[in-house]
Amino acid sequence: MFQASEIKRLIMAGLQCDFIEVEGDDGVHFQAIVVSPVFDGMSTLNQHRAVKATLGSLMGNEIHALGLKTYTPARWEVVRKELDL
Amino acid sequence: MNVQEFIREQVTTHPIVLFMKGTPQFPQCGFSAAVVQVLKQSGVTQVAAMNVLESDELRQGIKEYSNWPTIPQLYINGEFVGGCDIVKEMFENGELQQMLADAGVAGEA
Repeated sequence: MFQASEIKRLIMAGLQCDFIEVEGDDGVHFQAIVVSPVFDGMSTLNQHRAVKATLGSLMGNEIHALGLKTYTPARWEVVRKELDL
Repeated sequence: MNVQEFIREQVTTHPIVLFMKGTPQFPQCGFSAAVVQVLKQSGVTQVAAMNVLESDELRQGIKEYSNWPTIPQLYINGEFVGGCDIVKEMFENGELQQMLADAGVAGEA
């Protein structure tokens, strides 16, 4: 069983993040918003791969699901305003 | 035939293949159910669904095949499209419908 804070720590350890938020309180299902300059030029598929890679074999095993929203810093500026964050 | 060859054969002989938990009639995971629903709403009537709960070898093999750690996984014309989040996002912005139309596999929506 994992805490959202632990998932956040693992992602941040493996990926340069401008912004990250992880939620989930049942220990196996989580949702995250991740903003990283590394995502520039990547397809959404590869952005998600990059995040999931930081969790290694936990992903799909101990961690059942990680719902993801990934954004480049430029895209995040727009989305952030839309979401009024 | 090993499991990787089996997967390659499935995704190249069927236009739409969904690796999921359970079946389209009885999905056993909310994320798998969501992808089935999105495909229905996109007008897709023919999906080759593979239940990974019936084979642990397939369940592990598909993760290696796509370099994607979770189920469900959607393939269109042999190409890995994504899991639940990506498929839903592509449906919401119209990319999925376009991809299905380009692939010549969308039914009447």
